Amino acid sequence: MHNEGVSYFEECLTSGGLLFQEERRALYKYLLEINKDFYVNQAHLLLEKGITTRSIANGEVTYFFKGRKVNYSARELGSDEIQSELREIKLTRIRRYNIRKLEKFFAQCDVDVISNFPIPGRLPKADSGYGFNTYPFYTLAYYANGKNPLVGLIKKVRADDREILARLRTF
Amino acid sequence: MDGGNLIKVVRAFPYFFRMPINISKSLLLAPKIPSLAVVGLLAAQFFILQSIGGTEPKCTLNVERPHYSTSLFENQNIDAIKLNISSICNVSQKYTQLSASIQKIQNNREITAYSFVNQRRNSTAKSPNVASFRELFGPCRKGISAAYRGTAKGYVYLENGKKLAVKGDSGKFVAAGCLIGAQ
Repeated sequence: MHNEGVSYFEECLTSGGLLFQEERRALYKYLLEINKDFYVNQAHLLLEKGITTRSIANGEVTYFFKGRKVNYSARELGSDEIQSELREIKLTRIRRYNIRKLEKFFAQCDVDVISNFPIPGRLPKADSGYGFNTYPFYTLAYYANGKNPLVGLIKKVRADDREILARLRTF
Repeated sequence: MDGGNLIKVVRAFPYFFRMPINISKSLLLAPKIPSLAVVGLLAAQFFILQSIGGTEPKCTLNVERPHYSTSLFENQNIDAIKLNISSICNVSQKYTQLSASIQKIQNNREITAYSFVNQRRNSTAKSPNVASFRELFGPCRKGISAAYRGTAKGYVYLENGKKLAVKGDSGKFVAAGCLIGAQ
């Protein structure tokens, strides 16, 4: 379905948890593409200050950097209930590599927040806790569902998100 | 004391052979602690363990039968088979992590129609013992009927740090008027 005057990306921001897994994966790739500069700046800020906050859809994410580890907490805008101990990544001593790693991490977390806290609209809100795919999109474990990475590599090569990505790129 | 109330003790060392020992039978058979007190102590131990958290944590996975989602069609104009799953514990849980799939019957054989990626879902402040998966659905083509069954397995991570394995399915195959895997 496509509403007149509303882009597919805007629809995704209101659909949230009702997105298919393939749509979420394409959304991750799209966010990584359009937010490249923003994520790089956010990564530098996090590594320098140790904390950074950003809002997307109807949620707010706070990233924490401590002892080479980065994790995030999230909350719905206007709510006091904070979801903590969510995703976590470990950084290396190589700053350039860390920045690249953080870009992917930020895009994944943005998809998590959009899925859980979509922009309120005509869709009924599911009464369930915060959820996300255990294995991030940027890992082979995601494609292999936690099993053999070689199988993950084959599935990653086979995964074709071009059609959904083309829809996301259309304004 | 007559001979009937006495028992002979087997000697361990032959040099004591000339020194017979006789012990009264009634002395050996008489309980030192009254049996009623023993029962009372056991009951007290049971109730104390119950009250200080001796309850064994248990979790069950409630996998509902896959069904055609009318709400998804009405709100999103999407044809999809939906699978609802809840993990319910008798103690607080942090989250549940599981892999789920929708199985279907095709050519008299059970095959996986749709596999969901491993998902993690937190419990809520309102229901700390429950984690609900309400966003599992696979696209389908309406008008063609197929028989489906939901399966899931994974782990529940409890507040106390323990991890419990859970597994479940929706039971027998039930038909729905939408076919997964024929897009």
